[in-house]
Order: sequence, then C-alpha cells, then structure tokens
Amino acid sequence: MLACLCTVLWHLPAVPALNRTGDPGPGPSIQKTYDLTRYLEHQLRSLAGTYLNYLGPPFNEPDFNPPRLGAETLPRATVNLEVWRSLNDRLRLTQNYEAYSHLLCYLRGLNRQAATAELRRSLAHFCTSLQGLLGSIAGVMAALGYPLPQPLPGTEPTWTPGPAHSDFLQKMDDFWLLKELQTWLWRSAKDFNRLKKKMQPPAAAVTLHLEAHGF
Amino acid sequence: MAVPVPWACCAVLAAAAAVVYAQRHSPHETPHVQYERLGSDVTLPCGTANWDAAVTWRVNGTDLAPDLLNGSQLVLRGLELGHSGLYACFHRDSWHLRHQVLLNVGLPPREPVLSCRSNTYPKGFYCSWHLPTPTYIPNTFNVTVLHGSKIMVCEKDPALKNRCHIRYMHLFSTVKYKVSISVSNALGHNATAITFDEFTIVKPDPPENVVARPVPSNPRRLEVTWQTPSTWPDPESFPLKFFLRYRPLILDQWQHVELSDGTAHTITDAYAGKEYIIQVAAKDNEIGTWSDWSVAAHATPWTEEPRHLTTEAQAPETTASTTSSLAPPPTTKICDPGELGSGGGPSAPFFISVLVTLALAAAAAASSLLI
Repeated sequence: MLACLCTVLWHLPAVPALNRTGDPGPGPSIQKTYDLTRYLEHQLRSLAGTYLNYLGPPFNEPDFNPPRLGAETLPRATVNLEVWRSLNDRLRLTQNYEAYSHLLCYLRGLNRQAATAELRRSLAHFCTSLQGLLGSIAGVMAALGYPLPQPLPGTEPTWTPGPAHSDFLQKMDDFWLLKELQTWLWRSAKDFNRLKKKMQPPAAAVTLHLEAHGF
Repeated sequence: MAVPVPWACCAVLAAAAAVVYAQRHSPHETPHVQYERLGSDVTLPCGTANWDAAVTWRVNGTDLAPDLLNGSQLVLRGLELGHSGLYACFHRDSWHLRHQVLLNVGLPPREPVLSCRSNTYPKGFYCSWHLPTPTYIPNTFNVTVLHGSKIMVCEKDPALKNRCHIRYMHLFSTVKYKVSISVSNALGHNATAITFDEFTIVKPDPPENVVARPVPSNPRRLEVTWQTPSTWPDPESFPLKFFLRYRPLILDQWQHVELSDGTAHTITDAYAGKEYIIQVAAKDNEIGTWSDWSVAAHATPWTEEPRHLTTEAQAPETTASTTSSLAPPPTTKICDPGELGSGGGPSAPFFISVLVTLALAAAAAASSLLI
C-alpha cells in the first residue's frame, strides 16, 4: 500500500498574484510549464528504462500488461473525454498540482529504497525537476488568482509501513508509479496546450471561443 | 427454299437444351459443397452408388476421362485451383444424374496481419487486417477489443470490409488495449493479437492541400502552404507539428525543415530556375508517430524574363527602360565604357570614332610640331 508523508509540499508559501502594469499575463509561465512537462517526459524515459531494468523481468518487458491492481492511492491521469474537455481552468490546474504533489512524494519514497547509488542520483535529479514543475504550476495558479489546494485537516497523508508487502507487489507498485507519472506528463502537455490557447490575446480568444462550439 | 431445315435445327437444339437442363437441375439433387486443400488428393464418391456402378463423371458439363475413376468414385490427385468446379456423376446408360459436388480448392488461413492506428485522436482509433496470402475460399473474421478487462465495441467500417472503428471513452489511460482477431474458413483457422498503449498508435493523416508558389522578384524563394488534415478533430487542444522536405527534381538529396506551428513556410535557399518537389508530414506535438508524406507539390522559383536581342537602332530605347528596373545579375561582368554611354548598344562604332578623333588630334599635333 502506497502512502506518503507530504507535509513539506502542502505548505508551500502562496505566491502573490502578479499585478504589475505591463504584465504579460500568465501566458509565458504557461508556456514555461508546458516546456517543463516536455523536459520531464524526456528525462523520465531514460530514468524509467533504467529503473525497470533494475526491477528485472517481467517489468522491463515491452509487452508486460498486468491488470491494474493495488496502487489505488496513485493519482490517475485517465479521465472521461468529455469531462476532460469541459474542465474549467482552475480545476484543470488543481488536478495537475495535486497529482504531481502525490507523485513526487511517492518518488521520494522510491528513492529511499533504491539499491544503487546511480539510481538514487537519477531519481534525486528527477525529483528536483518535478519540484520545479510543481512550482511552475503554482506560479500559473497564483497569476490567475487561484488558491493552491490545501489538504483537509485529518486527511493529511502519512507514511505507514503497511502489512507484509511482498517484494513482487512492491515492484508492481513501482511499475505503476512510473507508468502513471509518464501518462500524467503526456496529459499535462495537453492540459497546458488547452490553457495556452485560452490565454491568447482577446481578439483571438473570441475567435477561438466561437470555434470551440463545434466541439 | 431451305426454310424448314433451320426450323428443325432449332427444335433439336431446344430439345437438347431441355434435356441438359433437366439433368442439371434435377429437383431432388442440390450440389453438395465441398472444400479441399490445394495440393491434396480427393476421392469423390458418386452419392450412394455402389462402388461397381457404371457411372460417368462430368465437370462443368465436360466429360472426364475414365482413367480418373476408381470404380464409381472420381479420384483427383494434386488438387490445383483449376480443379474447382461443379462435378456431376451420371448413370452411364440412362444419363440419370446421381450426385453433384461443388468443389472449392483452397487453403487454410495463415496468421492474419493486424494493425491499429489513431488518425482521429482523441476521438478514437481503427484497426485493419488482411491475410498475407490468399485462401481462395471465403473467410470470416472476428475482432475483439479489450481495454484492461473491459470489452469495447469495434464498429464495422461502412465501406471497407477489413476495418472497424473504436471510440475512446477515456483518455490518458495507463492500461493497454488488446485487439485480437481470429479468421476461419472451411479448411482451418488462425488468430493473432496486438497490445498497445493509447499513445503509441497515434498517427495523423498527411497534411492536405500542399501548395508551393514562387515569390515574385525572389529567384531563390518558394512559399509553401498547407492545411492540417481534415480527419484530425481538435487541432486547438491537440496541435500538430510539421516536417517539410524539398529538393530540386534533378537531385536526390532532400532538405528538411521541422516546424513547430503554423501551416506555411518560405524556402529561401532554392536553386534559381530549378523545378522543386515539396512534401509535408504531420505529427501530434507530443505523442505518436509522423504521418505519411503528403501529395507532392511542384514549383519553380521566380526567374526574370529573358531579354530579347534587338537591332542597333532600337538599342538605346529598350536598354534605357530596362536598366532602371532590373537588379544587377550576380554574374555582371566588368562594363566596357561603350555600354555605359549607350547602355548596352554595340560599342564598336564609338571606339572607332574615338580612335579617329585621337588620330586626327595626333595628326594635328604632329603637323603643328613640323611647322
């Protein structure tokens, strides 16, 4: 059972909303966030390859297609097509923020258990980049005036050693963590594309709005 | 004169046709359909007749040689495709039809080739299949699509019979899709399956309406425009990036440009006066693979109008009007003074007049010295 202590993340200081005159708006920071998801996705590809080889077969086989059991607390990127399309900006950003907060926490847990120094180094580097992505999303939310999601009191995730967790099941959890991370990064690229288009200058935004009715 | 003869002839022919028809379409006898494997041997019994019954076999109305018979049974060895046909055995003396067999020679199906592709992401994907070698007999296909443990419906394509379509219900799934196909015919069956992630099968259709145009007054430029494929449903949320390749027809080496957005590009390093072939491909910005290359566009960069040769008398007017509008050609040779004055007209007479003047001046000077 994956569970995590994430107090550090949940108490990130709220970034004040930018209100300077001549402010370019959230556009550049949305672009930056998009670019970060691409960078992370690229980084994850080599990291996941190395880690899955470390786990050994069948996890590193390309046809490995296990049923999704366990790992229920992992944030899932999968979403109904129409629901995804109709997400408002705040919800879209919030879902991304919450997902990466959890994923980062789990990744840090992975790092604690990793056997080789090289793996720990790669994981640590990835965690740092992922932290950067979180900060970037927080920046966009602040620029748009949305509050950062805070956990409800009493539901703060804490680390529990859990019942006797077999080696194989632990590896399955690791497998799903990496898979979910990769899928979230692909989803975020699409999320930020959608946000980018909506933040276009007003004239273009009106045209886009009219066209969007077709979908 | 000879009128009754043709009439009698027709009557005989009609009667013969009626007999043949009756024999072929005997009310109690419908052909037994039989499938046999190419290359094999088959023995066709004449219905329920005894082995030693006297029968004649025919195929598609043509008699078969008696050496193929084993008693009343027809033996065919090393079946070929040409052996397919309607076989009938008749009682030798009465020509009574005993039995008919519609023989179809074919092969059991080999493993089908199955592939799936999403050219309409995120709406859905399609799968298509075919057999690597023909079976020559009818086949039935059965496709099942599993997403994890959930069965999805694959709707048959209205036009193509070896294709079906699946609609995505959920996006960004970590669970793979498994598409299985089984094919069977009278001689055997086969099956195959493929498993893939949602993202790996994304491949747009090629860009449409690729047009290349020369740019006026620019001998090294070509302007290329295209449109996103009409099958891609949502280019706003799922933008495409493009890859352009171009070369002059006379060379084999392509040049490539990758473009992250926009549906236009200006080539600035075209060889002057050479016809170019240009193609564009598309890909989702983040996932999947490149489309096939688009239909090629052809274009030749703009070239200046060739100058026509003119007579001496006309030279000053024509050249005076052209020098002002033309940019100097890159291979401008050093002008000789004759061209400067009359702008490209023949220079010889001018030189001669200069020489004459100099000669006269020299002569005058010499004569003044002598005096």
